[in-house]
Parts: sequence; structure tokens; C-alpha cells
Amino acid sequence: MKAILNRRWIRRTVALAFLAALWELAARMGLLNPLFFPAPSQIARVLVELAVDGAIWNHLEATFTAALGGLVIGLALGIALGFLAALVPLLAELLEPVMMLLNAIPRVILAPLFVIWLGIDLGSKVALAVVLVAVLIFFAVYNGIKDVDRRLVERVLTLGGGRWVLLREVYVPSVTAQVMGSLKVSVGFAFTGAVVGEFVASTRGLGYLLQFAQSTYNAALSFALILLIMAFVLILFSLSEMLERRLLRWRYR
Amino acid sequence: MLKVTDVSLAYGAEPVLEKVSLEIAAGAFVSLVGPSGSGKTSILRAITGLQKPLAGTVTLAVDGNDVGFLFQDDALLPWRTARQNVALGLRIRNVAKDAALAEADAWLSRLGLAGLEERYPRELSGGQRKRVAIAQVLALKPKLLLMDEPFASLDAIVRARITQELVDWVERERMTVLLVTHDLEEALSASDSVYLLSQGPRAHIRSRYEVPIPRPRTLIETRKNPVFGTLLDRLWRDLADEVNPRSMQAAQ
Repeated sequence: MKAILNRRWIRRTVALAFLAALWELAARMGLLNPLFFPAPSQIARVLVELAVDGAIWNHLEATFTAALGGLVIGLALGIALGFLAALVPLLAELLEPVMMLLNAIPRVILAPLFVIWLGIDLGSKVALAVVLVAVLIFFAVYNGIKDVDRRLVERVLTLGGGRWVLLREVYVPSVTAQVMGSLKVSVGFAFTGAVVGEFVASTRGLGYLLQFAQSTYNAALSFALILLIMAFVLILFSLSEMLERRLLRWRYR
Repeated sequence: MLKVTDVSLAYGAEPVLEKVSLEIAAGAFVSLVGPSGSGKTSILRAITGLQKPLAGTVTLAVDGNDVGFLFQDDALLPWRTARQNVALGLRIRNVAKDAALAEADAWLSRLGLAGLEERYPRELSGGQRKRVAIAQVLALKPKLLLMDEPFASLDAIVRARITQELVDWVERERMTVLLVTHDLEEALSASDSVYLLSQGPRAHIRSRYEVPIPRPRTLIETRKNPVFGTLLDRLWRDLADEVNPRSMQAAQ
């Protein structure tokens, strides 16, 4: 028993199960108002119903498309702009203030603007996710290049390396480490962008369903959707971590 | 092999070196010592082109590719294994990948690191990393080897062993060496001549000491030579004079 509890994930699962059991007990004893805190069994029932009647898949597809699309485009844009700004000082002077401004504000406030510009379809959700991710990755890449270990640069130069060798052997691996460090946060940001975008104006997606649950005072559906989003983000977190461990095996081995 | 003539150097408005001149004949082992912060490393940076001098010239009798630079820090790429780090310079010189890796393995083996080829720098001890850095430079078979306090971070026993190995290797390959160090005994025991740099700013070469002890040398045995003691005493006094001239004058 002690050996089993020594595993962290088992301890965490047991702790969560214990909390859910307490919650269920409190709900059944009438200590919690089911309008605000439905029992876990009721939330589970809603989840099963969503899966069985198939209505959820259309919404999941919309949210995933927006989040993953925003993540991929945001990563590509952030990396490209970060590299360009670090290599072309004039571009840095143009980009840095804009990025700093975007970084300083809660970027989800741009959601209504994107709806006005791009409509209530996928485009506005992807755009919000892109802005959330790209700004984060831009700074990871830009600062990663600016703060690259000068000793490594000089080492490669004294071995006879030129610009391309420096890029391949020093800058790209160094920036990869920075980007991978921000990847998990980026996944969270991409889902935030997609869900908030759907929350503001849409006809499908988990954000739209959440908005619907809120307007109908359906707490069980709200909890079920929150759990669903958490589960998917955690799966993507795990995948990001696996990718990070693979790409940065020199750090983890 | 190497001639540095009237080199002056500054970092921004901060003057570091003023009219530094030194000369190293082919096959000679020369050391440069001086007070801390006097600009010893800056001279090596000027020779390798990492730092542009304000004035003066650096003349090399060999191609830039024949100059090896061993840094104070091992400065290995953390994302490359020991063998990939050693092979890096060879790959830059267009040696085919397989040949470069085979050569890297041979060098690692020569330096006592067989079996550690696939380890990343963070998986190696300080002494092992330093050996990888040495292998990386020696694999390029440089004719002129510049070393900037390469063993400063190592403990005394490892340091003595690696220094002796390197001196033996240099002797065998008839390399020309310029060693920057703060360790006067290390400088005298390994070198044919030692330059003393004055206290900065605007440091210059204060004096040069010939070490008439025949090579090849064993570093420990060399320290027992009476000439070594006399030279060390002179060097200590001159260095102390540079660091604190007033107290020396008072003592005299």
C-alpha cells in the first residue's frame, strides 16, 4: 500500500477522488444547493448524455479547430517575428513597442474587435488565439536570441563557424529551449482564445455551450464543460511535455 | 609565429591595453601573467579577432584555421553530446560527418573519455568537460594554441594532471602556445618565456622572463629546479610591485 502511495499520480488521483466523494456526500445530504453545486454524479450524467446524443462533437470540433489553428499560426508567427526582430534592429524598433503594448493589456479584450472585423465564424476565434500565443512566443524567441550565451557564440566563432553555423548550432537550439518552455502556457492561451471568442459571439463551440449553460442557469452543464476543457488541455499539456522532453533530451536525460 | 605590435584596446570609453607588444617564435610555449583585470584575456580576444583593437597590429604566420582557442569556461554546447561537441570544429571544416565523429571518438579516447562519448555536458564532471573542450580544440590540430586560464575552475589534482597531459601533447606536436594564467608557478613550469602585464587601466608589457630549463619538462620536477625558484621570486616581487607599488616602495 505504502509503495503504491509513493507514486505521485496515484496520490493525486486518490486526493481528487476523495474531494469528489466529499462533494457527492454533501450534495446528497442536502448541504449544497444543486442549483449552484450539482453533485458530481449529476455532472457525470450530463457528460455521458453529451457524448451519447452526439451534440458535443460538433462543438468540440469547433473549439479544437480554433484552438489548434490559433496555436499553430501563433507559434509560427511568434517564432518568425521574434527571429526577424532579433536579427533586424529596425524591425525590432517597430515590433517591440507593439508587442509590449499587446503584452501589457489583457488581450482577450480584443475579442469584440475580431468579431466586428472577421464575423462570428471560426476566423475571429482563431485570430484571438493567434494574438494570445504569438505575443508570448515572440518574447520567448526575441529574448532567447538576445540573451543567448555569448560564450557559446564565441566558441563557435573561434572554431571557424559563420552565420549559418551559429544559427544552426547556437541560436536555433537555444531558442527551441525557450519556446518549449512556453509551449504549455501557449496551449492554455490558445484554448482561452478559442473559448473566450466563442463566448463573445458564436453559434457553436464549447464557449458557446458555456454561454448557453450560463443563460439557462444550468450549473451541471457548466461544470461538465469546464471539466471537458480541463481534460483536453491536460492531455495537450502532457503531449507538450512529451515533445519538450524529446526535443530537449539533453536537459532531461 | 605570432607578433603583437603596439596593440591598444578599450571597452567603450574604458581604456584597457596600451601599446602592448609581444612575440612568440614557432614552437615556443609562452605565458602571459598579470594582475587581475589587467587585460590578459583581452589580448587573446584581440589575437583571435573577437575584439577589435583601437590601434596596433596582430600578425599571424599561420592561417586563422590553424589557431585553436581554449576558453576559461569549457563553453560546450549543452545540446550536443561529447562526441558531437568534439566533432563540431571538424564539421565546420567540412570533414564528412562519419569521419568527424570517428575522429572525435579517437580524441575522446586519447584523453581518457572512452565510453562517455554519448554523454551531454551536464552529465560530465568539470574535469571531464574540460577534457572534451581540449579534445575539441586539439582535434583541429592547431599550429598555434591560445589558452585563457583553461584550468582555473578545476581542483588542484585534476588541474595538475590535465596541465601535464596538455604540456606533453603540445611538446609532442610541436605546437606554439600562448597561455594566459594568474598562476605564476604554472606559467614558469610550462613556459619558455613569461610576459608580465602591468596593472591596468592602460596595461602594457612590463617585463619578459626567459625560463632556461630544458624541455620536455615534468611540471613537478621543474619546480624543484633552482632557476625556477629564483625566477618565481622575481616574478612575485614584480607582480606585487604592480599590484601595490606604494607598499613595495615603503618596504624597500
